[in-house]
Amino acid sequence: MSPEIAGGERTRLEPGSFRDADSTVLYTDAGVFRALSAQGLEDFEALAASQLFERFAGDGRLVGTERVEAAHGDLPALRNEEVAALLRHEKIPFVSYPYEWPFGMLRDAALLQLDLLLAGLDEDLILKDSSPYNVQFRGAQATFVDVGSFERLPEGEPWIGYRQFCMLFLYPLMLQAYKGLAPHAWLRGAIDGITPTQMSAVTSARDVLRRGVLTHVRLHARLERRHGERPREVKRELHQAGFNKELIRANVSKLRKLVGRLDWIPPSGVWTDYGERTHYTDRDTEEKDRFVRDVAGSRAWDLVWDLGANDGRHSRLAADGGADYVVAMDGDQGAIEHLYRSLRDEGDRRILPLTVNLTDPSPALGWRGVERKTVLERGRPDLVLCLALVHHVSIAGNVPIREVVDWLASLGAALVIEFPTREDPKVEQLLAAKRSGTHLDYDREFFERCLGETFDVVRSERLSSGTRVLYFARPRGAVPAARDGRTALGR
Amino acid sequence: METEVFAYLDPGSGSMIIQILVGGLAAVGVTMKLYWRRITGIFSRGKKVEEKS
Repeated sequence: MSPEIAGGERTRLEPGSFRDADSTVLYTDAGVFRALSAQGLEDFEALAASQLFERFAGDGRLVGTERVEAAHGDLPALRNEEVAALLRHEKIPFVSYPYEWPFGMLRDAALLQLDLLLAGLDEDLILKDSSPYNVQFRGAQATFVDVGSFERLPEGEPWIGYRQFCMLFLYPLMLQAYKGLAPHAWLRGAIDGITPTQMSAVTSARDVLRRGVLTHVRLHARLERRHGERPREVKRELHQAGFNKELIRANVSKLRKLVGRLDWIPPSGVWTDYGERTHYTDRDTEEKDRFVRDVAGSRAWDLVWDLGANDGRHSRLAADGGADYVVAMDGDQGAIEHLYRSLRDEGDRRILPLTVNLTDPSPALGWRGVERKTVLERGRPDLVLCLALVHHVSIAGNVPIREVVDWLASLGAALVIEFPTREDPKVEQLLAAKRSGTHLDYDREFFERCLGETFDVVRSERLSSGTRVLYFARPRGAVPAARDGRTALGR
Repeated sequence: METEVFAYLDPGSGSMIIQILVGGLAAVGVTMKLYWRRITGIFSRGKKVEEKS
């Protein structure tokens, strides 16, 4: 028995990992594991012997995986079958979902999926599904985490995952690239994605001329309506007609070309150009940078959340200051897209850019509401950066100041927060849109009182412009609950 | 040998058929064979051999 697995009662099954009966993710204090059925083990052995396994794991595109020994008694039963083998996976610092990724991240995840498929076909392997939930990011690097997806290619069988690829990768990408419509709300509302019929309904006659729409959307929807009820017969007919892997390869290669050509140019909106910064003097910016750098370097931080991260300036300062991992969140997809592209070009693995609207963050979703987790359940930060944000949440978002501070306190993390006073030009602009006499709680003194009730303010500094104040504060009172969940994998 | 067991995922009948329609050159042979079988199938329906899975 391996000592790492000892203590079976502490084993927790990943609640989102139940769809594939041959492979189940679980956690112990020792890390992230995957239990395989006999069939799952057979498939894994084929994968482990392949060249693609070595190649993709070598450069990080496939999650680090090793087989470990374990006694059966230590493991939870897999449905009605004993566990045949156990794999240990490298931890992903912070799990994220496709409805939090900007266009570029979803596209890179799609390309990784297709590249793995193509490499697999060379060695008679195939991916049995095509879910973006099988891809995670380490900073700006996409990595495929579900090694249980690989199986030996059944001869004469079509590509089973094609429909799922369309529903969860291709259609969301097309929506953004062709229609300028962000797919996040839809993906968040439909865990299985967009059906061919639905996608067909939102494409116009003009869209039919766009690459891939006629076949992958319109024809696909029509064939589905016509042949929907006879999968077994269709499969048999295709097999008898000599369906082969070269056909799958041709399809995947074409799809790869199509996906590679899909593009989205983020609009340069209020946020994208960091409109806030035009209100700063250069001096303010310098002072703010120094403040953040000082805090970042003051101790070792495991996980930093940069809320309202925008162009990622402060995320970078935190990472450069020695923070292990930074999650940069912003509600504006355009800003996050720009940040992702620059981080990807730099080969960054420390900063994870996510599209998250803090006044409406990702909920728990799926079966029993546990398949996909809320942001908080995926790992608590020990430092939160909240710069040029609070006035937007409080004035534009109508969240009372006390609520904002209480929520930040509930994270149990140290806090760097910027408070622009009522005299600040940006605040004046936000207030001008509201009825006079509202947002009276948006007041420096009141803010400081709220902050003082839940935090110990270690340091504060008024910036040169005179209308912005920075605070560094530590949470007061109870130590937050155990920081588990940081190891959670998507499926 | 033909596998009768589906993966846990529904492949979708239409989604399978479309794979031979977008397959280009690689699909020509398969498409022709598929339709040829369908045509001949009409005449030989009565003496169809039991398929072993």
